[in-house]
Amino acid sequence: MSIALIDAESFYASCEAAFDPKLRGRPIVVLSNNDGCVVAANTLAKRIDPGIMFKPYFQVQAWANTMGVAVRSSNYELYGAVSNRIAEIISRYSAWQEVYSIDESFVGLRGTPEELEQVGRYIRRTVRQLTGVPVRVAMGRTKSLAKVAALGIKRAFPEDGVLHLGRYSDEQMSAILDSIPVTDLWGVASRSGKKLSVMNVRTARELRDLDPKWARRKFNVNMERIVIELRGEPCIPLEMVPPAAKDQLIFSRSFSKKITDKRDMEQVISLYAQRVSARLRSQGSLTSHLSSWAMAGWADEGSVPHSAQASVGLSVPTDDPITLTKAARALLPKLFPFDGVRYARAGVVLTDLRQADGVQPLALFRPEFEGRGVGQALDLINQRFTDVPVGVGLGGMKRPPGWEMKRDLLSKRCLTNWDELLVAAA
Amino acid sequence: MLTPFLLADPSEVTLPIAPEAAQCGFPSPAQDYPSEELSLVEHLIRDRAATYFWRAAGKSMEPVIPDGSLLVVDRGITPVPGRIVIAIVDGDFTIKRLWISDNGQVELRAENPTHPHIVLPELSEMTVWGVVTYIISPAV
Repeated sequence: MSIALIDAESFYASCEAAFDPKLRGRPIVVLSNNDGCVVAANTLAKRIDPGIMFKPYFQVQAWANTMGVAVRSSNYELYGAVSNRIAEIISRYSAWQEVYSIDESFVGLRGTPEELEQVGRYIRRTVRQLTGVPVRVAMGRTKSLAKVAALGIKRAFPEDGVLHLGRYSDEQMSAILDSIPVTDLWGVASRSGKKLSVMNVRTARELRDLDPKWARRKFNVNMERIVIELRGEPCIPLEMVPPAAKDQLIFSRSFSKKITDKRDMEQVISLYAQRVSARLRSQGSLTSHLSSWAMAGWADEGSVPHSAQASVGLSVPTDDPITLTKAARALLPKLFPFDGVRYARAGVVLTDLRQADGVQPLALFRPEFEGRGVGQALDLINQRFTDVPVGVGLGGMKRPPGWEMKRDLLSKRCLTNWDELLVAAA
Repeated sequence: MLTPFLLADPSEVTLPIAPEAAQCGFPSPAQDYPSEELSLVEHLIRDRAATYFWRAAGKSMEPVIPDGSLLVVDRGITPVPGRIVIAIVDGDFTIKRLWISDNGQVELRAENPTHPHIVLPELSEMTVWGVVTYIISPAV
């Protein structure tokens, strides 16, 4: 069996262009939450400025204007929906699939390298046709080699987008691996790279030719596996089981404007508690521990350095938004211990999670609101309508005062929100 | 304040819940004919991963597509002449009927006689984004 790595080209930017014809053929950058810095750029944008990634937006703004670079806020609703569609389409071609990240899947495929390159082209054409997003199909005998093939596509066949390393002879493979620095390999951290270079192992070929046992002794079992996989023996299995429910949930954000008022923070914390409780319900878990925190910015000249934190143990595991909002408010008395604090970021963390397996605690121990279905009702309302000011306590207040996430350049959330559908002129 | 504690391992105090209440009367005559109820989603959507919802704005396709209609658009269908498509012309989306005129020119035809057809001398000036498969509009 061969392993194919199917990854989307400049995924965020490609999603934006798929639903906006004016972006086609243009350089595009996508900003982080809060429009802070560049987190994605397509090839054209990187060609204009190879160092564009992670530059703060205010540094990039003028450049983008002059160079005709399109700038978008990150539209995670759209990217998530497109990602699910792509993963679903890919699953039609293989019974073995590991969804590795938002824009990458590993799949197992059977056939000769020539046949599989044909299949790869077909997958690429289908995903492109159904979603508008271009994907690359990089293949080899192992996951590590599929990753090497992905480097090969970027370097040598960017237009074709499909490559199976099986088309190369052993000598050609050695030459290819010799042209790849070890630190470009999947799973080799830059720290291990330094250690390897001290041992005179600088290229993927030199790593492949190490004794796997020695690699394990000097590093760890992961390095041993990489060595073996580079030789073409699969030993990093496809992880096909969907990841288990997370055992910790965090909702935290930076504010677009610093918070200097207790009531504003009360609203933030209430809302975050409700957001994170919605995630908790969506994965079918209950929590027994909530902590909430707020901190002033590191490099914020205007603020006194400070952070506040509160933890609340819940005697009965719950997913009830009212109970969790109340628990999160334990932070409030700890805020603003002295004047001049300007909070830049806050968050709510749920830990000690367990599956809600239908076992109901005795009524005596259930929080008084639970069982009235408040959480489910909120989830339904939020699914049906966009950004409605419905919530518990201050979390349900209207437009918050400037702290909520800034997404000024947001494209339409056209796959998840009825009121943001794409419009075509008739 | 009362601090609650568990009397026993919660898994041992589960009360039996009956999701399917036992029917005491005559067994349902329908039980030998198990069948899912009709689903409009299934009926309207050929392939979920290829289907998109759009909104039509304008009167050029009336009466076939009333202004404001919700459109079901399928990207997995080959656009052939005669079908209503979402096309990209000059960087803008437009809904029209794809047509090939007698002299072989590609046309994007309006249904509404008061609106002009778009005639495209070159096929390359136009891209089809998707094929409209259903038009949903309120009965008024």
